[in-house]
Parts: sequence; structure tokens; C-alpha cells
Amino acid sequence: MNTYIEGILILAGINLMAVLGLSLLTGFTGLFSFGHAGFMAIGGYASAMLTVKFHWPLIPALLAGGLAAALISAVIGKVTLNLKGDYFCIATLGFGEAIRLILDNVQYFGGARGWPGIPNYTNIWNVIAINLLAIVILANLIRSRHGRNMIAIREEELASQIIGINVFKHKMVSLMLSASYAGIAGGLMAHYMTFLQPKMFSLVKSTELIIIVIFGGLGSISGSVLGALVLTALPEVLRSFSRWRLVCYGLAVIIIMISRPEGLLGGYELTPSSIKKLYNRIITKKRTRSQGLGGGDTL
Amino acid sequence: MKKKAFVLLCVLLVFSLALSGCGQKSTSTGAANDTIKIGWMGSLSGDQAVWGQCEFDTVKMLVEEANAKGGILGKKLEVIGYDTKGDPQEAVNVAKRLTGEDKVVAILGPNASGNAIPIAPVLEAAKVPDIATVATNPKVTVLDGKVKPYNFRVCFIDPYQGAVAAGYAAEVLKAKNAAILYDVGDDYSQGLTQFFEDYFVKSGGTIVAKEGFKSGDVDFRPQLSKIKATNPDVIFMPYFFKEVALSANQARELDINATLLGGDGWPSEQLISMAKDAVEGSYFVNHLDFDDPEVQDFKARYKAKYSKDVELNGYLVHDAFLLLSDSIQRAGEVNSEKIAAAIETANIKGITGKIMIGKDTHNPEGKDAAIIKIVDGKYVFQQKFAAGK
Amino acid sequence: MTEFLQQLINGLSIGSVYALMAVGYSLVYSIMNFSNFAHGGVIMFGAYFGYFMLTVYDLPFPVAFIGSAILTALLAVAIERAAYSPLRERKAPFLYFIISAMGASIFLENIIIATIGPTFRTYPQIFPKEPFRIGSLAIGRLDLMIFAISAICLLLLIYIIDYTKIGKAIQATAYNTKASALMGVNTAVIIIIVFALGGFLAGIAGVMFGMKYTVYPQIGAITIKSFIAAVFGGLGSLPGAVIGSILLAVIETLTSGYLSSQYRDLIAFALLIGVLIVRPMGLMGKTTEDKA
Repeated sequence: MNTYIEGILILAGINLMAVLGLSLLTGFTGLFSFGHAGFMAIGGYASAMLTVKFHWPLIPALLAGGLAAALISAVIGKVTLNLKGDYFCIATLGFGEAIRLILDNVQYFGGARGWPGIPNYTNIWNVIAINLLAIVILANLIRSRHGRNMIAIREEELASQIIGINVFKHKMVSLMLSASYAGIAGGLMAHYMTFLQPKMFSLVKSTELIIIVIFGGLGSISGSVLGALVLTALPEVLRSFSRWRLVCYGLAVIIIMISRPEGLLGGYELTPSSIKKLYNRIITKKRTRSQGLGGGDTL
Repeated sequence: MKKKAFVLLCVLLVFSLALSGCGQKSTSTGAANDTIKIGWMGSLSGDQAVWGQCEFDTVKMLVEEANAKGGILGKKLEVIGYDTKGDPQEAVNVAKRLTGEDKVVAILGPNASGNAIPIAPVLEAAKVPDIATVATNPKVTVLDGKVKPYNFRVCFIDPYQGAVAAGYAAEVLKAKNAAILYDVGDDYSQGLTQFFEDYFVKSGGTIVAKEGFKSGDVDFRPQLSKIKATNPDVIFMPYFFKEVALSANQARELDINATLLGGDGWPSEQLISMAKDAVEGSYFVNHLDFDDPEVQDFKARYKAKYSKDVELNGYLVHDAFLLLSDSIQRAGEVNSEKIAAAIETANIKGITGKIMIGKDTHNPEGKDAAIIKIVDGKYVFQQKFAAGK
Repeated sequence: MTEFLQQLINGLSIGSVYALMAVGYSLVYSIMNFSNFAHGGVIMFGAYFGYFMLTVYDLPFPVAFIGSAILTALLAVAIERAAYSPLRERKAPFLYFIISAMGASIFLENIIIATIGPTFRTYPQIFPKEPFRIGSLAIGRLDLMIFAISAICLLLLIYIIDYTKIGKAIQATAYNTKASALMGVNTAVIIIIVFALGGFLAGIAGVMFGMKYTVYPQIGAITIKSFIAAVFGGLGSLPGAVIGSILLAVIETLTSGYLSSQYRDLIAFALLIGVLIVRPMGLMGKTTEDKA
């Protein structure tokens, strides 16, 4: 395969991993995080430390990176999950920036100068495999009791508390799982780039992830998948526009928001059965249309 | 209606993605025989865009000039440049696109070390050489004692620059106490700070204050007030000219009279226009003497074409281009591996000095730094200075 | 002692810049209940408008000052019409507003880079650079002016909101948009007025920022601090925004002066989170129940 296209697919896969986590938190639990790049950084640096300094293989290192991100998210969650809306959002933003500032100063990891020489373990196949696994786990979680509780919290927090859902616990589980996904994504990123620099995990990265989730559609896993693919490729397509590239990107984000605020697939899933249904609907529509044509098209 | 527009937008995107993939390939096979494609990468957006823009403009100008003279090896040159936003991940994408899609024979740039380091595996896989312009981190070309086969550069490196600044402060300016203000979030600034500190202490001086700020800050008075209390002889400011102008103005406002000292992030017309009085009498380490007769011709050509002054990066990308075209000539054919081998043995005279690539370092060996003093708003060359004796 | 006083002056001066930015932010928040991330972009445009009026068109300072504020007011309203009002008509949740605002801020920053270029620009010197000196303390003239302008803007704004009919309508809309629409308030007009006011303040902040520091396309990024300050003081509360800004800046300054400049932001953030734990609505915010 062409290395350029392969590289973009790997990046889309890495973004997808982080986006799946954020999708659980924002799309299914209704919490808005500006700090996911921070969790990616924790996962990235932790797993790179394990492979470089302790010679671990990739998979256990990734899992450890995810675990590290989850543990730190638990501490953050304990403190901030009771805050609402914008206040939670600003707390996560602060956390993300704080992680970056710490990494800038820690010379053990190279500080702001970055950390080169991380082994190149990430390839298209393990990215696909990990993402498939992540999607299966997420889909099952959402269809379970826990997932339904999370959606209930998103829809009506007060009401779900009254009917006996432990809101704090479910938010916490959602945050930790979400952070661990981001951590694994960070680990994949470290072993794809073979280089880590705190700059890579700036607020811009967190924003990008949120934009992908919203673009794909809140509360839809398949939407997140589509979103990650399209929005990772979009800047590449626009690359020939040079200076005008980000102008177009900004404009595209606004147009998407105002023309279809529910995103590509808001609350809708592309599964084998739903695709079949859609197919049937199109077929019947065509039929009715061709029948209708006889008596003058009224559509 | 809006739904339809949205679907249309998506379809358009998918198509343009597919088309851009196909279109690129057809041209690369068709045109490979009579043109030599060289790549450029750097920041055209983001906070480093000033330098990136100047680099890209310079390369375009030089390519035009070379083509007017008949090209290299009888073939026309073509430059393909992309924006990296100063982001490492973008740099890797760009390197993959240049080597995989556009099939360039060599790449010029990027300017930031943080972008030049992660592209090494891409270059090695594609066997395409890259000549970085002002990426001064040692790890750009050498990692864990091993030289990277396809990474080269035309500038001196941080340890050298830091040592020159510290050596000049200690030996020529006779400074005993130095304060450092640096950008915590910037790789260049952290690198220079570390080597300045090491060398200044080794030369018998004391670092009385080491204060940091975060990239994007505009107010440095809290740090400067603290520095003022330690009463240093010199203040080392290893960061870029926007912050230099702001912090120099604020330092003078706070009545700090210490000599200011900086690195190659300083030189710019903007620095003078914004902080003429504040930086008067300051020194900085540079890659070249701007008044050197050798560079006047290039300066004038650039000014005539773009009607603005050339930034520092322009000089270095000029030499990177010179190095590349010389190496293509000596390689005798348009083959990226042979070109890489030719760069390794290059020994040319550029406008920033002699460029003899070291086999084990891929750095230009023995390139002296120029010390520049700012006098009456002009950059006045003081001396060539070599440190580390 | 003099160092401490100087640091306090530094803090107050940085704080008044934050405050000028945070007030416009908070004003829009109080009506729309979302964080208008495009505010930073509008401030940046204000700085550029002022710069071009002073240099290219050579207008006198007061004209440039008011003129750029009027232009940014128009720009803010245009952004509202293009990026937010379609969302409002659909009653989209606040997340979409935030994303749309982010799109707008990416757009604003990069359109400047693409058209005018990435180079930073320097305002012509209008006020003497030399600060007032009291002993070895230095107080910048511009700092005093920014401080005064921040105070005047805030007082004017409080006057408009508390003592005029439009202000009453704004308050009613902030309290309950639907009910005030039923009571005959033209909420669409009120929202436009609020954005215009926010944009006007952004223009003033931009010109002040440009004069004090410099003009460059990434000015918007600095507004993240004023955003934090606004949360610190309590979102939606104007006095809260000012007090939050001053407090944040003074704390930052003292941290870099006496603790560690390298970890300054870390300490500031920790403090912010500490405040939010004790007072989840910020120092002077509305109760969280209102916004749920």
C-alpha cells in the first residue's frame, strides 16, 4: 500500500481510538472534555517509557498506558465530576494544559525538546485490530445496563438520580474508560511517530477530537468512525490550498454545524441490520417513485 | 434542502480525496523524465509562519532562477511545498506525501527541530535525503551516537550556539553574573538555555536567575522584576524576536540596564521597529554577517521580487538549495540515494559560510558563528567567534 | 518590599487587560449560556482594525479607537447571524454553539494569516513609553489608561444593564428567554444588541492590547486566560469577570515572582480548581441550578 495513504489511515485510526473514548464521555454521558489530549499524553509517555526504558512489547505497554491515564482521570474525576457544564469543561482544559506544562519541565522525558528514538511498533494492522476490539467493547457497554444508565444521565441528570441511578459512579466509569481509550491512542501515536513532544498534545488536539465527535454525531459509534476518517483526511485533501487550508477547515466546521447540527449520524448506528433496513427503504422509495411517475411526480 | 447540501458536501469531499490521489500519480509518472522534483516543508500557518513563508518564497525564487539558466543536468526543477503548521504529526504526513505521492528526490526544510526529528523514519523508508534549515537540535541528525543516513542540515547546532553565547559573555563581555529568561514550552529555547548554562558555569560565571514563561505569553514583567532583584550583568534571552521585542521593552521599562544577549531567533526588521531603543547595545549569535558582500546580491534579488526584506531562514534555505543542487550535479543522475551520498561528501561555499558536511554528524563542520551587536538600530558585525576550546 | 509592590503593580496591569477581555465574554455568556470562543478572534480583529486605521489611513487616535470598536461590533453581530442564529432556531444544545464558535475562531485567525500575513505589527507610538516612576517603582502610562478604560467600560455596562430599558430587557432575556419573549421582549434584537456590545468591548480590548504589546494573528489564544478568569469570577457575572481577572493575574504574578515561573500556570490552575470545589459557581456566579 502507498505509504502516504497508509500513514493517513494509521493516523485516522489513532484519532479514532481517542475519539471513541471521547464519544463515550461526550456522546453517551453528556460530559464535555477539553483535556483529552492530556490523557493521550499520559498514555503516550507511559507506554513509551515502558517500551524504551524497560523493553516491554507493545500491547502490554499500551494497556499500561491506558491504565495510567485511567488512574489519573479517576483523581481528576473525583475532584471535578460534580461541577456542571462549562465548569467541568474549564477544569478539564486546565488539566490538559497542566499535563503539558509538567511534561515541558520533566527532563527525564526530554522536556519541551521532545523524546526521539521510540521504536516504531505501530502499523496499520495492529491499529485496525485494536480499534475493532475497542468498538466491540464500547458497543457492548452501551447496550448494557450501564450504557443505558449513562444515556439516561445525558438526557436528564436530575431525573436519573431520582430513579436511583448512581450518577457520580456512572460518570466516573465513563470518564475512566474514556481516558484509557485516549491513553491507548497516545501510546499508538508514540510508537507511530517514534517521537514525543508535549507540543503534540496541545489544546488544539483536544479541540480537534471534540470536533470529530460532534461531526460524526453525538451518541453514535459508527458516526465517530466516519468522522475520524473524514476529518483526518480533510486537511490532507485541502493541503494543496496551502495558506487557505485552515480558513476552509474553519468554514467547513461552521457549515456542518449549522446545516446538520446532529452530525453525520447523530444517535443513529450503521449496523448490518440497519444497513439492510436502509437498503430496503431506498428500494421501496424507488418503487413508489417509479409508480408515482406514471401519474405525475409529486415528490 | 440543507440536508441535500450536506450530502453533496460529503460526496464532494470523498471525490476530491479520490481524485487528488489519482491526479498526483499520473503526473508523477508522466513528468518524471524531464523535471527534477524537490520538496519543501515548513510552517505556513501557526506562530512560525513568518519564517516558513520566507523560506518557501526563497526556494521558489531560486528554482525559477535555476530554470532560467537551464536547470540542473539539463532538466527543469519543480518545487512542491506543504505547510506543517509547526506540528510534528503534520510534518510526518507531509514527508510521507512528498516521498510517497509526489516522489520528490530530496526535501528542503523543515525549520523546527521538533518537525525534523520525527520525519527520519519516513526518509529512511523512502531513501530520500532531507536538508533541514535552522533545526538546531543535535538529535536531528544524530541519535544515540548513530548518524541518521538521510538527515542533513546547513546550520550549526544548539550546544555550539549556546557555548558561543556563553563564551562571548564570559570572555569578551567579562560578565560574571548572568540571568536567563526562557520559553518553557519551546524546544529551541530549552536547548539553548541548557547549553548556555552549562558553558557559562564552566567558564567560571554564575547563573543568578533562571526564569521561564509559557509560549504565547506577552507579559514578562513578573519574571523580569525578579531578575532585576538579582542584578545580573547580562540577561540571556534565547527565544524569537516577537518575545524578544516585548521582553526587552518591558525590561527597560522596569529600569533594567543589563546587556541583553540572544541567539539566532533574534534577527528581524520587526525587532528593530518595535524595540529599537530597548535592544540598543545588545548582542546576539548569528549564522552570518548581514553586511557581508557575499550576501548582498541575494538580499537584493529577494527584495526586488517580493518587495520585503529577507528573514534569517531565507539565507539558510538558500544554502540548503545550493548544497542540494551541487549534490544533484555531482550525483550525475536524478536518484535520491546517489544524491544523499553526494550530500555526504559536499564541500561548497554558501552565503552563510563554508559548508562541508561531516560524515559522522551530517552537520556543516567548522562553521563559525557571527556575533552581531545592535548599534543605532543596525546589525553591526563584531567578530567570528568559535567556542569550546 | 519594592519588588513586592512592583509585582503587585505588574499583576494589576496584566489583570486589567484580562478584565477588558473577560467582560465581553461574560456578557455574551449571561444571555446565551455558552462560551463564545470566537471572542478571541474578534479581539484580534479589533487590534488589526485599530492598527490599519492608525497607520494606513492615518486617522486620529480617538477616531481609530471608536471606529475599530464599531467595526468589531458589526463583526460580532455578523458571526452571530452566520454561525449561531441558525443553531438557535433549531434549539441545538450548547455543545454545538461551542463547536461553531471554535470553527469561527479558526476561520478568523487563519483568514488574517492568509490575507495580511503572519508577521506581527507594531502600533505607532501614541503615548510616551517612559513610565511614571515612584522611587524605583515603574507604572506604565498605558497601564493606567487601560485600567481606567476597563473601569469606565464596566461602569457604563452596569449602567446600561441596570438603569435602561434595554438593560432590563437584557436581564429578562438572560433570566428566561422564552418567558421574556412571551412578555413582548424582542429577544432576537436583544441578542443582537448583546453581541454588538460584546463586540464593541472586544474592539476596545484589541486596540488596547495592540498598543500595549503588539498585533499578531494568534492574539485569540491569550483570551483563554480571560476565559479562565471569567469562570474563576463566576460566568455570567460582570463584576465577577473583573474581580476574577484581577485576582488571577495577581496570583500568577506573585507565583512567578516568589514560587516558580516555570510552574506558574500549574499553580494558577490548581487554585482555580480549588475555588471551583469550594464554590462551584465561581466567586460571584449565579447558582448552578440556573444554568442546568
